[in-house]
Amino acid sequence: MDHQAPQPQARILVLCGKGGVGKTTLSLALGLRHASQGRRVVIVSSHPLPELGIAVSLDGLSRRFPEASRNLFVVHLDPRELLVEVVERAVPVPLVASTILNSSIFQNLVEISPGLKEFYFLARLQQLAERKRAISGASTPDYDILIWDAPASGHFLATLRAARAFETYLTGPLAAAGANLDRFFSSAANMSILPVSPLEEMALTETFEMADALSREFQLGCDALILNSVSPVVTASDADLATLHIDDSSAPALRFAVNRGLAERELCADIRHRIAAPQVSVPRIRHWDGDLDLLDQIGEWLNIPAAL
Amino acid sequence: MKIIVYLGTGGVGKTSVAAASALALARTGVRSMVITTDPSLRLRTALGLADGITEQQVPLPDSEDAGELWAALLDVRATLDEAVRLYARAGMAQRILDHPIYATIASSLVGMQELMAVERIDQLRLRGFDRIIVDTAPSRHAFEILDKPALFADLSSSRKVKLVGRTYKLVSALGLQSIGRSAIDIYAKAEEILGVNLVRQVLDFYSIFYPIAEGYSRRAERTVAMLRDPAVTEFRVVTTPQKAMRDAAFFTSALGERNFPIGAICVNRAWLHAAPEPLPGGMAGDVLGWYSAVSESHRAAVWSLKEAYGTQVRDIQVFSELERDVDGVAALDVLARQIHLPF
Repeated sequence: MDHQAPQPQARILVLCGKGGVGKTTLSLALGLRHASQGRRVVIVSSHPLPELGIAVSLDGLSRRFPEASRNLFVVHLDPRELLVEVVERAVPVPLVASTILNSSIFQNLVEISPGLKEFYFLARLQQLAERKRAISGASTPDYDILIWDAPASGHFLATLRAARAFETYLTGPLAAAGANLDRFFSSAANMSILPVSPLEEMALTETFEMADALSREFQLGCDALILNSVSPVVTASDADLATLHIDDSSAPALRFAVNRGLAERELCADIRHRIAAPQVSVPRIRHWDGDLDLLDQIGEWLNIPAAL
Repeated sequence: MKIIVYLGTGGVGKTSVAAASALALARTGVRSMVITTDPSLRLRTALGLADGITEQQVPLPDSEDAGELWAALLDVRATLDEAVRLYARAGMAQRILDHPIYATIASSLVGMQELMAVERIDQLRLRGFDRIIVDTAPSRHAFEILDKPALFADLSSSRKVKLVGRTYKLVSALGLQSIGRSAIDIYAKAEEILGVNLVRQVLDFYSIFYPIAEGYSRRAERTVAMLRDPAVTEFRVVTTPQKAMRDAAFFTSALGERNFPIGAICVNRAWLHAAPEPLPGGMAGDVLGWYSAVSESHRAAVWSLKEAYGTQVRDIQVFSELERDVDGVAALDVLARQIHLPF
């Protein structure tokens, strides 16, 4: 345990990047790793839990990783459900609350109010990260680490921008709340930005654009770049690489694997010009279907400390 | 005219499959157009859409081919701006374009991309394209393209928003019964819960935006009717081996609820070569071992997909991944030759 100097809130690790690059699996792996080491971890996913449910069997977790199963929490924040909570808090009479929630006017108003759902999502995320027990004087925090399995890059940026938009185009309490959220989520002291990308041109381009936007608009730098699904050719030494020969008579599988690996290696060599952060490589594995040992192995490859 | 709508989550190569389909169709001698939202730089270059160009005719790889291939980039903000200028009353367009809500609507309104795609399909139909291939946003919810126009119309063109939106307190005081007391209560409550400012800004915006939404909804209804007609439109799901089972389950049920058949599931980016036996030693063995572990799981995934969905979905197609990202129309052609199309 490493919190001799308790922070005012949980460290937020943000796994962000293009859709389909493995953010969710890596979030689970990172969460499992820290939870196994005795930290209290909450993973906030934008995927509905049943989808993750196929992945993590709680039963298996408590048998295989008893320490982790006590410390690991996974929540799915559905923006629509968050708004239901907001209404139910504001209107204590259930019948009236449900009339409002079921009225098409209210539903439409919510759908067309730009950034409203994102705003409530951020507010809830901040709440989760705050250490309520620490504030009330107790010694243990609610969570040491919050892992945000962020939505795909465009929506992730739009979510961060929502708080600022509220601050800009509104006045009054919502604007103040927006300013507060904006401060919280553009503070490098609270957040570690961990973009995830495979070594593919399109995903990398999107990652660079996202990193540029984060730095330009929110003064947030990247703390580490996670390269997912990398080929063994990328990490091979030059001497090993020299032993690889392919020509037209080579087996198609070998030709594909080597060419693919060399293309990845080329891309990898160019990354430092765009993102100076340290790189973490996770090898490409067969499809992860819920195998906890494999998840543990991915966590070991990731090896990202709680405080970067 | 026929339409193919490709659905799929991020990172499955949907844009390449859509562009390759348009190429394959063009080769049959018709005018074919692919509408895409977010192509990679390579694909943009291949389609001639780099450097701010949003629509382009693409030369076919074989000069003997008779058809036409076109590509268009869907720029949500630009399409919306155009609609505002086209349909707003004089003097109103600028008020809309300058409204603080407008600045965020194009980027943060869910489904805006799909709505604008519908708008674009209508324009293309009028321009005489025979085949339109739509590459939807990388979202599990892109098929809401079929639900959205109704929501938009409901909201923006209804008399309630028009009247109540601008001066609902005044209207309430005058007692205009046509609006209905309950609607006003809901607005008052919404202000309480969501904040006075937000609700007023939003209502103020829609009170000037509604004529555009109205014009839009009328045209959208026509297009949505075409999208709902299986004789005109085919929906296809693009996925990868890793995501195949999950995506198939999700899309068959989500589209099934709306009574839309899925024309085909396209499993893209599959590694299908068999590794030589026995594996050689050294680095080549490492690389092949790595390849064949992934390849075996891909083949297993395709097999499970066919077992589970083979009877329900008439057409399951598997495309092998290219060694390098698609580069140029010639490379797109490699993919185009693997695709089977319904017409």
